[in-house]
Amino acid sequence: LPEGLSQWFPALEVLDVSGTGLAELGAELLALPRLHTLLAKNNRLGGPGSLPKGLGQAPLGRSLRVLNLSGNRFAEVPPDLLGLRGLQSLSLGGNRLHGIPPDIQELRSLEFLYLGGNFITSIPPELANLPSLSYLVLCDNKIQSIPPQLAQLHSLRSLSLHNNLLTYLPREILNLVHLEELSLRGNPLVVRFVRDLTYNPPSLQELAGRTIKTRNVPYAPSDLPENLVRYLSLASNCPNPKCGGVYFDSCVRQIKFVDFCGKYRLPLMHYLCSPECSSPCSSASQSSTSQSESDSEDEASVAARRMQKVLLG
Amino acid sequence: FRYTRNLVDSGNGKFNLMILCWGEGHGSSIHDHTDSHCFMKILQGNLKETLFEWPEKKENGEMTKKSERVLRENQCAYINDSIGLHRVENISHTETAVSLHLYSPPFDSCNTFDQRTGHKHKVKMTFYSQYGERTHCVSTRYHAPC
Repeated sequence: LPEGLSQWFPALEVLDVSGTGLAELGAELLALPRLHTLLAKNNRLGGPGSLPKGLGQAPLGRSLRVLNLSGNRFAEVPPDLLGLRGLQSLSLGGNRLHGIPPDIQELRSLEFLYLGGNFITSIPPELANLPSLSYLVLCDNKIQSIPPQLAQLHSLRSLSLHNNLLTYLPREILNLVHLEELSLRGNPLVVRFVRDLTYNPPSLQELAGRTIKTRNVPYAPSDLPENLVRYLSLASNCPNPKCGGVYFDSCVRQIKFVDFCGKYRLPLMHYLCSPECSSPCSSASQSSTSQSESDSEDEASVAARRMQKVLLG
Repeated sequence: FRYTRNLVDSGNGKFNLMILCWGEGHGSSIHDHTDSHCFMKILQGNLKETLFEWPEKKENGEMTKKSERVLRENQCAYINDSIGLHRVENISHTETAVSLHLYSPPFDSCNTFDQRTGHKHKVKMTFYSQYGERTHCVSTRYHAPC
């Protein structure tokens, strides 16, 4: 890019340098105070120094709203762009990304994030800390699981997950009440009911911890070593609403199918405190009816009917 | 957020002519064409068309792919229910695509199919715009394949 760019075109708002073979975007861009849209698709960007240093603090860093770096050679999300606190739309589709940095959460204004067509294997839970994210594309990657924290993306309206390596989805996905579009095709989603047979029995520490929590055995920080006080604070409640049980590290991962009126079975991962927890927990309830299983299925099926309308192909 | 169907001409009731705009990564579900002729021409970009066999009535398993091809700019394609079912997608992560579709007779509902099971589901098709005007009143919650 020519050196005097910001002097000759100080009012520049949109710059499209796509398909020009650029290997770096230089410091010439930094002083463009009105540039809100920068399109640099299909170039040779990706090496160190592809983006100018100090991008976040420069006038360009404050003005930039839309950045399209798709079709380049980035193997990682360039750290220089994580300082763009005003950025609303980011595309890194069709690059060579193997992961997403947790610091992606620094892009506080992000509404649109396109990461399709990379080699991403997992999603950091920090992605869920983007308060305005409404359109998230992760299709055509190598993702094996979705962190349940993604359900905290309350603004999410569109989620594209097709052509990945997902075998199940976390049940929390049903909490995304504003989700209007969800694509799941081309994933090896488990079709038949699968029970995780490799349930590891809980450790003695876990059993003692469970007893303390469920029986409300009183303790003070002075009674226990600090690491055990911390351990007890990490107790998770069994998701079965009829069970008052807690678990720490040991849980059964059971694939529960949310049946969309027989048309589409969506496997969800339920973390239960023990293999017996799919029916009423003997530790909490006295009557052994199958009521709890159908009640929790009812909750799931209401959310599932909402999700049924959302699924795309 | 997904591809849009924009009605251009309804030809005295005998056909529907529409323009579909596909963002990066956008694709349709597998669908049929409700006994109508369907012509498609690529105006911009590329679209991948995957043909499927109709699922067997009794069978409950993965649908059979017949063939796939990438249609380039200015290429045309034709399909009807006797040929089979198809999925159309913009597989590019960098380019958008635009296609022109002619359906005769016009239809406003079709069946979408789950590739893993062959189960079908009837859907109403909606327009994002008609004759250049944004269509607002229709619910956006239904799938709308091309």
